[in-house]
Amino acid sequence: MKTISAGRKRTGRNRAGRIALEIFMVLLSLVFLYPLFLAINNSLKSFGEVMSDVVALPKQLAFENYSYVWSFINYPRLFLNNTVITVVGLVGIILVSSIAAYKLSRTKSRFSAVLYVVCIMPMLIPFQSIMLTVLRLAQDIHLNNSTWGLGLLYWGFGAPLAVFIYHGFVKGIPKEIDESATIDGASGFRLFFSVIFPLLKPVTTTIIIIDVMWIWNDFLLPLLMVNGSPSTKTLTLAAYTFVGQYTSDWQYAMTAMVMAVLPSIIVFIFLQKFIVKGVVAGAVKG
Amino acid sequence: MFKSLGRKWSEKLEFGIFTLPVLICIAIAFYIPFAMTIRYSLLKWNGISKNPQFIGLDNFKQIFMGDANFTSAAWFTVKYAIVYIVLVNVLAIGLAVILDMKLKSTTWLRTAFFIPYILSLVIVGFIWKFIFMQGFESLGASTGWGIFKLSWLGEPGLAFVSIVAVSVWQSIGFYLVIYIAGLQSVPEDLKEAATVDGAGPFRRFISITLPLLAPSITISVFMALTNSIKVFDVILSLTGGGPGGTTYSIAYDIYRDTFQNNMFGYGTAKALILFVAVLIVTLIQLSLFKRREIDA
Repeated sequence: MKTISAGRKRTGRNRAGRIALEIFMVLLSLVFLYPLFLAINNSLKSFGEVMSDVVALPKQLAFENYSYVWSFINYPRLFLNNTVITVVGLVGIILVSSIAAYKLSRTKSRFSAVLYVVCIMPMLIPFQSIMLTVLRLAQDIHLNNSTWGLGLLYWGFGAPLAVFIYHGFVKGIPKEIDESATIDGASGFRLFFSVIFPLLKPVTTTIIIIDVMWIWNDFLLPLLMVNGSPSTKTLTLAAYTFVGQYTSDWQYAMTAMVMAVLPSIIVFIFLQKFIVKGVVAGAVKG
Repeated sequence: MFKSLGRKWSEKLEFGIFTLPVLICIAIAFYIPFAMTIRYSLLKWNGISKNPQFIGLDNFKQIFMGDANFTSAAWFTVKYAIVYIVLVNVLAIGLAVILDMKLKSTTWLRTAFFIPYILSLVIVGFIWKFIFMQGFESLGASTGWGIFKLSWLGEPGLAFVSIVAVSVWQSIGFYLVIYIAGLQSVPEDLKEAATVDGAGPFRRFISITLPLLAPSITISVFMALTNSIKVFDVILSLTGGGPGGTTYSIAYDIYRDTFQNNMFGYGTAKALILFVAVLIVTLIQLSLFKRREIDA
């Protein structure tokens, strides 16, 4: 009798500890996200309210902040720019890298091994080491000041990691699949696009997620490449220059911040499950 | 070496068609600029004049002999990297262990901690600048706590702490996800066996979980290392290098020399030094950590 009650007491204490831990963690996560809440909160206030009390909730929702910033930075245009850059970059990275990684992984020769190292080596080069010369080169081949040009540049910047991840994954695809497809009369591009590429889907998802977050939010490369004219700017760049001009108008600054990050948050909420899985697959294999 | 290319012409051609595009892209993005960087680093050049002057290794001499900006930026970067790597990994492992316990709110918690990671670092910097400058005042007034009354961006020591804190806040979700994945591959029966042998939770963590987490630690430290050596965006928007130039990182210092002071040759020489440093440090880190890993 005694032992049973002792045992029960112990599980009872464990459960209480678990609930306490759970409550603590949820509170911690709310504190963790509080800065973002403050940003949204203050984007909905008037200048006076922001200045008098940052923590208080808005007395009246100042949606005019949003319409002001929307037209001031030409939001639809920036959104389109971001989309063009990200889509052009992503499609190119996936096409160019998957096909090369497949061939390099399948060809067993010294030459192919050397080329593979040549492809992934740039992962060790810090962007700051080459940023000036990238800009010069881009000017020479007329890729600067154009969203398409910037998208094209990302092909090379995204390729090393993508080749690395695809290369590792192709090893796991049996060679017999290639052989039977060849016997059925498919070879070259046909074999790759109708047989191999569909099998690469899990890695392609990972690469899409990693690269979309990176290209959409990138700052330094767009700053060097497309900052010249308002019609080619990206959301992050516009938010950066906007805050530079309106350092004291915090209500507009916060609105611009929120508007710049909102698309990523919305996409994240919808694709959350894939994103976390994708990061794990990409990072753990990498 | 060219054995594979010696077979049939069509195979050679196919190999070329498949691999050439990526090689051209990578050459344009990395190798050609890198070669140009090496050339520029030997010049005295403001980027405008038609005839840059060849000065050999003078840029490097000048950097190592006495460039106070570079020395303090290098020192800042080293301090930042060490504190950031330790903090982000220790905190992420701690959180991951808790989130691996299958609490009811696990899904929400993972999402919550991951959200800052999807935001651009420049914007994160601005949001925090607003909070440090405006928000802390209100928070101090409503709570009366002294920590909100400190000058978090205006005093060199505190500005350093702020930069590290904001970076950790932004990126911890990423490391958390890697560690959760690592923890899920630790076999349950090993932990149970240890419990039967009388090991407490702390002992189990040290002797079983941590060694089996080694591959995740290697990857996370590698990522944290490469990212912290290149720290730039968050500083640009949070402190702008201030107060009094105490928070310039190497990357920021290079940016300042090349694009703000128009010292193209000098800046690229620093960039080359950064590259060599990154190469050496990452190779050492990878070989050290790989040796300590155990296969689960």
